[in-house]
Amino acid sequence: MPKPSDLLQGTLDLLILKTIAREPLHGWGIAKRIQRLSGDVLSAGQGSLYPALHRLEQQGWITAEWKDSDLGRTAKFYSLTREGKKQLERELKSWERLSSAVQFLIENA
Amino acid sequence: MKTASEGRISTSDMRRPWTSRRRKEEDLDRELRAHLDLETEEGQAADLSPNDARYAAYRAFGNAALIREDTRAVWRWTMFEQFVQDFRYALRTLCKNPGFTAVAMLSLALGICANTAIFTFVNAALLKPLPYPDADRIVALQQRPLRGTGTTYVHPRSFVPWQDRAGSFEALAIAQAVPVNTQGEDGAEQVPGLWTTPDLFRVFAVSPFLGRTFAAREGFGRAALRGEVDSGSDVIILSHGYWQRRFGSDVNIIGKTIPLYRGAAVVIGVMPAGFRVGSLNVDIYRPILIDRSKPEAVGSRGFLCFGRLRPGVTLEAVQAEMEVIADQVGREDAGEKGFGVVVLSLRDYLVRDSRLVLFVLAGVVAFVLLIACANLAGLLLTRGIGRQSELAVRAALGAGQWRLVQQLVAESIVLSAIGGALGLVLGWGASRVLVLLAQNAVEFGQMADVSLDARVLAFAATLSLLSAILFGLAPAWRVSRVDLQSAVKAQGRGVAGSRSQNRLRAVLVVGEVALAVVLLVGAGLLLRTFSQLMEVKLGFQPEQALTMRTLVTGSAAARSSLVESILGRLEAIPGVRAVGTIQFLPLSGWTNNGPFQFVGRPLPSNAMTMESDVSTVSRGYFAAMGIEVLRGRPFGREDRIDSPRVALVNESFVRKYSQDEDPIGRIILGDWANPKPTEIVGVVGDIRHNGLTAEPRPTVFLAQPQVPGYITYIVVRTAAHPGPLTAAIRREVRQVDSRQPITEVQPLKHYVSTALARPKLFANLLGTFASLALLLAAIGLYGLMAYAVSQRTHEIGVRIALGAQPSEVLRSTLAKGARLAAAGLALGVVGAVVVKSVVTNLLYGVTPLDPLTYAGVAALLAGVALLATYLPARRAARVDPVVALRYE
Repeated sequence: MPKPSDLLQGTLDLLILKTIAREPLHGWGIAKRIQRLSGDVLSAGQGSLYPALHRLEQQGWITAEWKDSDLGRTAKFYSLTREGKKQLERELKSWERLSSAVQFLIENA
Repeated sequence: MKTASEGRISTSDMRRPWTSRRRKEEDLDRELRAHLDLETEEGQAADLSPNDARYAAYRAFGNAALIREDTRAVWRWTMFEQFVQDFRYALRTLCKNPGFTAVAMLSLALGICANTAIFTFVNAALLKPLPYPDADRIVALQQRPLRGTGTTYVHPRSFVPWQDRAGSFEALAIAQAVPVNTQGEDGAEQVPGLWTTPDLFRVFAVSPFLGRTFAAREGFGRAALRGEVDSGSDVIILSHGYWQRRFGSDVNIIGKTIPLYRGAAVVIGVMPAGFRVGSLNVDIYRPILIDRSKPEAVGSRGFLCFGRLRPGVTLEAVQAEMEVIADQVGREDAGEKGFGVVVLSLRDYLVRDSRLVLFVLAGVVAFVLLIACANLAGLLLTRGIGRQSELAVRAALGAGQWRLVQQLVAESIVLSAIGGALGLVLGWGASRVLVLLAQNAVEFGQMADVSLDARVLAFAATLSLLSAILFGLAPAWRVSRVDLQSAVKAQGRGVAGSRSQNRLRAVLVVGEVALAVVLLVGAGLLLRTFSQLMEVKLGFQPEQALTMRTLVTGSAAARSSLVESILGRLEAIPGVRAVGTIQFLPLSGWTNNGPFQFVGRPLPSNAMTMESDVSTVSRGYFAAMGIEVLRGRPFGREDRIDSPRVALVNESFVRKYSQDEDPIGRIILGDWANPKPTEIVGVVGDIRHNGLTAEPRPTVFLAQPQVPGYITYIVVRTAAHPGPLTAAIRREVRQVDSRQPITEVQPLKHYVSTALARPKLFANLLGTFASLALLLAAIGLYGLMAYAVSQRTHEIGVRIALGAQPSEVLRSTLAKGARLAAAGLALGVVGAVVVKSVVTNLLYGVTPLDPLTYAGVAALLAGVALLATYLPARRAARVDPVVALRYE
């Protein structure tokens, strides 16, 4: 199982942005969702998750707010900003290019 | 992030890295704890016990501390990225406005250049460690007349008991600067020498470069120094420079003999390169041997005294101890009765004359920099007002106020960094130029070592940063308070600055003018001091006279006849009108004094010793100097070594001691060499001997053939310009005695201009800085007025359209400027009065509140302010109402 720390930093950013594109989520929730949706293939370790979250917030692509979660606890929820949506588009496009290039090489090299 | 739902932008936490750093940390902790709790709950939901769930959560979580570190690193990196971004943007902005950038950088560079230049001197004089080991333990001792002010040199009769009784010193020594007659490359030459007790080298903790220093019993007394007797084995030490120059760095110099005027001396050592006793330039060191039973045999109150304190002894302690000892000595020794002692650290001693001046100059250049910063602050305010729309857009995109301030301050920092670097280089160059130019005026000593060391660099850097904050922060703060709605609605130049911004600028300009006024008053006072000094009546004629110095040695008869021969030969040179000699030339800084009494009279009832200056002159001296002989006769050929003793006195002497009786014919006797009752035969006019500002003192002139001196200055008065005769004079002196060197050949007026050089330098320096300050303040005033006019073009157009005359507009604008200038003048005058005590010591002939100076400054300021306001006022008067009203 490839650890997310083997992933490029940009890939983790992409995963985070996509995960909260649908609805705002707190850090633990984001980690769980990535794990679940990838079928336990990818697991975002907290060691890389939180620095990434704060970096994205500094860049202005996500924003944070303390809210009550459905489990009755207060948690810090992250959501995409307008600029973040644009960044997500950009990242998706570059991921497309990258993965199809790798795929092509594997098939034809 | 909150958006612009209200009229104002409020700050986002994330944009203020350091004020809410703690909050961010707490926030992160909360977040991580919440994560752990959620993880724990999940574990509990999966039927683990609460503890197991907790442990599982922690394990899954990983190292919390590491997470915190990584997150913090993200914050730091982001801050750094922000800085880099800001600086790059600042550079771009500055490049886009080359005019503003150039003016700003230049003003800053000038301000920092002036401050750096003065600081290099402050550094060299006060901060740089002295070039001796443990230099803070070296002290200088002086004697202090108990009745009177000031300090004087040390007498050997005090030195001997001091050395015996004082426990505070590791080593104590006395020394005297005495020229040495020796042989140079082309014949006889005279080199500066230091005659010192052997402990001097222990005081300064210096080891010789070659050979050794003097041993305890080596040395000779004054008689041998004067060449009257053989000095036995005369040993000398050479300075490094002299050893290189004269002996070509000969490594076998130790043990060689060099010829002196009388006999020869053995070289026993060479000092290391760069070693100097204080600021003295010495080529040859010779040893003093004090005869403890007769210390006065080595001389009188004319010695420097240096000591090295034992570890742990404080200045206060040694001062107290020395005062007790001096008191004892005074009671035991009648000659030392009226003298106390002053102990100064070596540094304090070396800078005693320059401290005040450095302090004043530092204050002056600080003012200049403040004015430059005020100008820049005003400029930035104006530019900021013009950039409101740009800043509003940035704010709308999410920049908090602090972020905008950061960015604007970055611009100020870039400006001042470049301006400061330029100023540093210019300032260092300026200080070197100043040292070269002012060599005559100031005894620089160690201050001449104006190197660019770490302290100077740190000073320039700190000053640049402080200036940036000073002129950048307030405008940045004001300007970044962007009111989004109105800013985006308004367009470009139509935006009016708020009232408070204009008031701030006006306050800045008034402050600048006030500072400039203070400097102008100072400069004016110093200028008047200088012109008063130039008017001082010297009492002698400085023009068309040549002076030179020589040292005659040998017995009284030998010296007397030597001088007589020289006089005879020089008088015979065509073009020479009069020749004379004197022991110490006026304004050369030397004088002799001593007590005397009238013979045949009882001592005056108040038993106060009568003291006078004493000078040994030859016949023809007063003619050569152009000094008036008021009564009686001057010395002549008839006054020989074996004729009745005669003396002349000056007017001050008559005024003080012989007011009621004709001095001519009175007999006096003084503490002179080989004293005999001496008749006063004439009265001469007063001259300024001890300095331009020192009042003439009662002086007794003794006849050279009868009381011959050693150091002898020759004065030659010529019919025309003396220069061409120099060679002939040298030749004639060589004819008399080929081993007799003459040095310091200078026109007499050189001494006068040297005495004037220092006040002239200060007046020039202060005048330059004050003019600079005035220029900057005028620019500031002009800038403000021009801006005000351009802002109110619309309003002016309305007024003119409604019938106001252009001349009224002109007058009202001028009045505005005049009000500002007047406020600045008033404030400045108050300031000048407050600081007047600082400059009092530098003045002569004027009081610090001299009305002429103040009036002059007021007039100058009025003129400059008028000029600065006139151009904008004229533009206001020329406003075309049609054009003004068209553009809202």
